Amino acid sequence: MDTLNPPLSILQAVRRRDHIAHNAWQVFAFLFIGLALAFTLVAAPSGDTFYFRLATEALIYSGLAMSVDLLLGFTGLLSLGQALFFGLGAYTSALVLKHVGPSFWTAMAVTLLVSTAVGIVGGFIAIRARGVYFALITFGMAQVVSKIVYNTRELGASDGIMGIPVIQANFLLFKVDTAQAPAFFLTVLAMTMGLYFCIAYLLRTPFGRTLGAVRNNECRVPFLGYNPQLYKMLAYVLAADMAAFSGALYPMLRGFVSPELMYFAVSGDAVITVVIGGLGTLIGAIYGSVILTGLKSAIGTYTGHYQIVIGVLFMLSVIAFPKGLMGYLSPLVEKWLAGRRENP
Amino acid sequence: MGGAVDYIQFVFMPQVFNGLTIGVAVILMALGLTIIFGLLDVINMAHGEFYALGAYLGITLASHGVGFWLLLIAVPLVLLPLGYGSDRLLIQRVFHQKDRHMLTLLLTFGLAIIMEDMFKLAYGPNTIRPETPISGGTELFGNFFPSYRLFLMVFGTVTIAAVWLVVHRTRYGSMVRAAAFDKHMASSLGVPVGKVYSATFAFGVALAGLSGVLLAPIYSVFPTMGKDFILMAFAVVIVGGLGNIKGVVFAGLLLTQVQAISSLYISPVWADPLVFAIMVLVLMVRPQGILGGKLGHA
Repeated sequence: MDTLNPPLSILQAVRRRDHIAHNAWQVFAFLFIGLALAFTLVAAPSGDTFYFRLATEALIYSGLAMSVDLLLGFTGLLSLGQALFFGLGAYTSALVLKHVGPSFWTAMAVTLLVSTAVGIVGGFIAIRARGVYFALITFGMAQVVSKIVYNTRELGASDGIMGIPVIQANFLLFKVDTAQAPAFFLTVLAMTMGLYFCIAYLLRTPFGRTLGAVRNNECRVPFLGYNPQLYKMLAYVLAADMAAFSGALYPMLRGFVSPELMYFAVSGDAVITVVIGGLGTLIGAIYGSVILTGLKSAIGTYTGHYQIVIGVLFMLSVIAFPKGLMGYLSPLVEKWLAGRRENP
Repeated sequence: MGGAVDYIQFVFMPQVFNGLTIGVAVILMALGLTIIFGLLDVINMAHGEFYALGAYLGITLASHGVGFWLLLIAVPLVLLPLGYGSDRLLIQRVFHQKDRHMLTLLLTFGLAIIMEDMFKLAYGPNTIRPETPISGGTELFGNFFPSYRLFLMVFGTVTIAAVWLVVHRTRYGSMVRAAAFDKHMASSLGVPVGKVYSATFAFGVALAGLSGVLLAPIYSVFPTMGKDFILMAFAVVIVGGLGNIKGVVFAGLLLTQVQAISSLYISPVWADPLVFAIMVLVLMVRPQGILGGKLGHA
């Protein structure tokens, strides 16, 4: 067979498989929205706030996990310090809300500006390193910055920043009070899923395909006329923005920020989330985050030592189920979708 | 003139000395990391937790009446089978897969999470301060030096020399270097490569445990002590060149001196970023490390 010009049918088959995989993920995305809305309908009348806040937290952490998946699953860069940007977003938004003005959109805009700037600086340092060196550099950057924040009195040192005001997020047609747990949950749901659909779309554009090429074989990418460093940089800054975006929502939920948000535990949890949910699926990060947050809360009611359980689960996942939840569930949906297409 | 001499004698010298004692312990820990990476290509994210395990084991054994001198032998001996088992049960399971760098890093990271929580479970979250095994001090050049720190320096230096001898002058060491150079060739010449891998992981982990025992009286013992220390060890290993023993000694002394001396002039808070900046700079300019040359290649 002529390998340079494969028959059109192969290209079509590859494209179709890719299309079906994408559709399967979209099915899971819509399923997730459906489940979340059902949860709201069931839980809202009971006046509960605990579970709404927990679910909101899971969604916020899923944004961080998606940024880790963008780097690791789609670009092949293992970041062990993504909490740096999550914490950066949380601190920036907290400072804006407290000292500039209680405006949702100002906080988000300033956060994205700051995280883009810091992301470019961080990317300049980190993307020169490959493989495990990248992991170690990102790990070190987050450790160093969290230590500096921990020791800076202007940022509240070890206490962090407390007393962040409750705000009204203005969405033109209606306003959302962040103190209203169900309403804020729906807002964060909309933002997280909006982020998901944007990134999922972006990964199917030529930009996303180039990231995949960098992941699969970085050395070949320059021969095709693309600059891998540039694409790694763009992915890094984009991931920084995603992490900061979700971090910015954190003080609105909890009313405080602390240096712990930048600690390795948060970065590590994001990696665990992605591995358990399914690396390189993006939607897996959201399911993984719900699973991890739920597990922590559930085990936490019995014992404070839930990290042992999470660690064992994570190691089992790496050894025995490396594809993660979505890696095993999505082929089932794909089969169903392919069957439906053949026999309409 | 007299002021300058006094400054050097009473401000500069003690700081250099403190840097040296910490440097020796960091080198012990980083040696384990670098040997494991040089042979197995594994970044051991749980290395800091094995260091903490050494310190905690020391406390437990000491509370059962084991003397400090015996601890220096007993703790590494207990850690050897633990390290051997970790490699057999965990690392070797994913070792032959394509992206083993990533997988082994993730696995050791998972191990680190579990170990840290185990420490909290077994010993509580609070800081434990073991009493200094050698009290008193010694006067040298008009300065007062705690005897324990002097002992740590001497003992650490002897151990570092012993590690070098083991790697470069024993049969086990030559098997390690052969396997690091070309594992297929070593295997066909009869080197039991799988066992050498596990033994080396155990050896590295035992070194981490030993530095845990040694540093416990100085830094005290708490569940996250490994995390606080691991960045320095990583920096030393990277600056020295991953897998390079001489490089680790050189970089360990250099970085701990930078940390010690710089904290005379800038707030100690900024000493860590400075060390990290050196690590990043080395990665940019000489990714193979200052001295270069991997285990088995030099």
